[in-house]
Amino acid sequence: MGSIEGIMTGFQTAFSLEGIMFVMIGVLVGTFIGMLPGLGPISAIAVMIPITFGMDPSTGLIMMAGVYYGAVFGGSTSSILLNAPGISGTVATSFDGYPMAQQGKAGKALAIAAIASFTGGTVSVVLLMIMAPALASVAISFGPPAYFGLMLLGLTAIASLSEGSTTKALISAVVGFMAVTIGIDPQTGTQRFTFGNANLFEGIDFLVIALGLFAIAEVGKLIIARHDDSLSDKRNVGSLKITKEELKDMRGPMSRQSFVGFFLGVLPGAGATIASFIGYIMEKKIAKKPEEFGKGSVKGLTAPETANNAATSGAFVPLLSLGIPGSGTTAVLLGAFLVLGVQPGPLLMVERPEIFWGIIASMYLGNIVLLVLNLPLIPYISKILNIPRPLLIALVIMFSMIGVYAISFSTFDLYMLVLFGVLGFLMRLFAFPAPPFILAFILGGMLEQSFRQSLSISNGNFMIFLESPISLTLIILSVLSFIFPLLKLRKKKA
Amino acid sequence: MLRTMNRKISLILLALAAFYLVMTYNLPAYTYTEIDADMVPKGLGWLLVFLSIVLFFIKDSETEEQRERRNIPKKEIITLLAVTGMILLYIFLLEILGFVAVTALFVFFCSWFLGYKKFITNAIVSIVFPVVLYMLFTQFLRIELPQGILPF
Repeated sequence: MGSIEGIMTGFQTAFSLEGIMFVMIGVLVGTFIGMLPGLGPISAIAVMIPITFGMDPSTGLIMMAGVYYGAVFGGSTSSILLNAPGISGTVATSFDGYPMAQQGKAGKALAIAAIASFTGGTVSVVLLMIMAPALASVAISFGPPAYFGLMLLGLTAIASLSEGSTTKALISAVVGFMAVTIGIDPQTGTQRFTFGNANLFEGIDFLVIALGLFAIAEVGKLIIARHDDSLSDKRNVGSLKITKEELKDMRGPMSRQSFVGFFLGVLPGAGATIASFIGYIMEKKIAKKPEEFGKGSVKGLTAPETANNAATSGAFVPLLSLGIPGSGTTAVLLGAFLVLGVQPGPLLMVERPEIFWGIIASMYLGNIVLLVLNLPLIPYISKILNIPRPLLIALVIMFSMIGVYAISFSTFDLYMLVLFGVLGFLMRLFAFPAPPFILAFILGGMLEQSFRQSLSISNGNFMIFLESPISLTLIILSVLSFIFPLLKLRKKKA
Repeated sequence: MLRTMNRKISLILLALAAFYLVMTYNLPAYTYTEIDADMVPKGLGWLLVFLSIVLFFIKDSETEEQRERRNIPKKEIITLLAVTGMILLYIFLLEILGFVAVTALFVFFCSWFLGYKKFITNAIVSIVFPVVLYMLFTQFLRIELPQGILPF
């Protein structure tokens, strides 16, 4: 069957009155749930599954695409406004989004995030249409050595995420990596560093670390600074105005990261998180003024937001064309497919073209609706920052607590949250950057597993990393991207 | 010898690395693989040893601004400790008194303690927020939160 014909059918399904209505509902509910503490796209989709019972499959799935996009955007708002990233894909968003909001430009930051998300999402949907069938086969040829190379490339961000001392950044990363080794080793079943405590068997949850190191540590700073009114320009907090110059700054990162994010999203397991980090570092490296990153840079906010949304569509490639979920979120989405009686895989495009292309077309629609619905809401959302400081502090603490408790149902994790909050606060005092810690924590687990899987395949021979061309290229790139910033630093000092 | 902050921190990190390494070398071996669970942790432990030694010897390149950040007035340290205490109490009581009751008390007293003087607004916010969130999580999202002493 001609693809063109399929695409037309798909657009007809998605752009019907019913389709538009359900995308809107999906986006609204998704945004709302995404903003709630601790809940990301996974929970948003899971919650909506029962609602789709009995719906026409294409309508139901179109709504799900809206929920997915909405939840990813909703997650960015808590990163930007409260420095509380609810999912790992929006950690990099907080690096520049939060400083920007602190400078009284919360509305602007949210608007930039919305536009960057829109661009990343839309460009990658076009890429998805063109390349879905071909890309799927590349993605499954990515073996453990290639994954190892990819994770390594992600980790080289550490050198560029340091504020001053590279040694301190590396120490922070090593300790973060150590934190992820806690728990039962998935390959041998050995209990590592659990002290026999059952609460630690599954390791420390990402949310405990992210909310502790970022949100709770920030609360410490807010408590000390609660009297000085640094949020001077309160009236403009909700202003969405983006200047021409800022728009020009956004253009570069948006066009590059839409592509980079998409291709990283295609790889199972890599997804939005690694895309957002790699996007951030890449833009920092090629920027004319890299010193602005981390202090509220427009580019620094645009890059991860574009990349994580582009990766979101990229993740649909293996799901739709192979039926393999590449992430937790797409796994739940696969569940939603099955509930509606749709089996994704190579045959979907042939047997049910209206669903295959309907979902893709609804992703266009989802992006547009996201922009149209959320831009007018931004002034109200950013008013959060006008809440008096003492009350805001108490609410952020509560927000973090409920976020952790709602996923683990254990007070043990709450005590851990406080522990990591204190650690994050001390790290700030002694100028140890927190981003390398969380980066190593997120990527460390996958890095270790792919490293050991590769060596198991080769019976301990390290040459396996240099034999496959993909992993060799990635490893060379990692080494280069790690060494360059160091050389630059040395040159500056000399 | 411990003149600079870097040196003190470096010793703490060395202790951490040593502790981690001791545990790593005591991990039980798994017979059926060459690539055992202790391989990566061993590398990490020794890497931390190396990095803390580097930290001990490099020149302290701290800026005035960074040093200033550490200069917290005693009064504020007490405030920080008090808030930490309140959080710990919150966690301890959460499953005993229930989410709504403990959260309302926590939000009210914490913001009052930090200097929020509008009692009525504070009371309304600290009751409405937990109740709305509780309803949302338990009714709409079907995520159970501790019910505690309240009947719903």
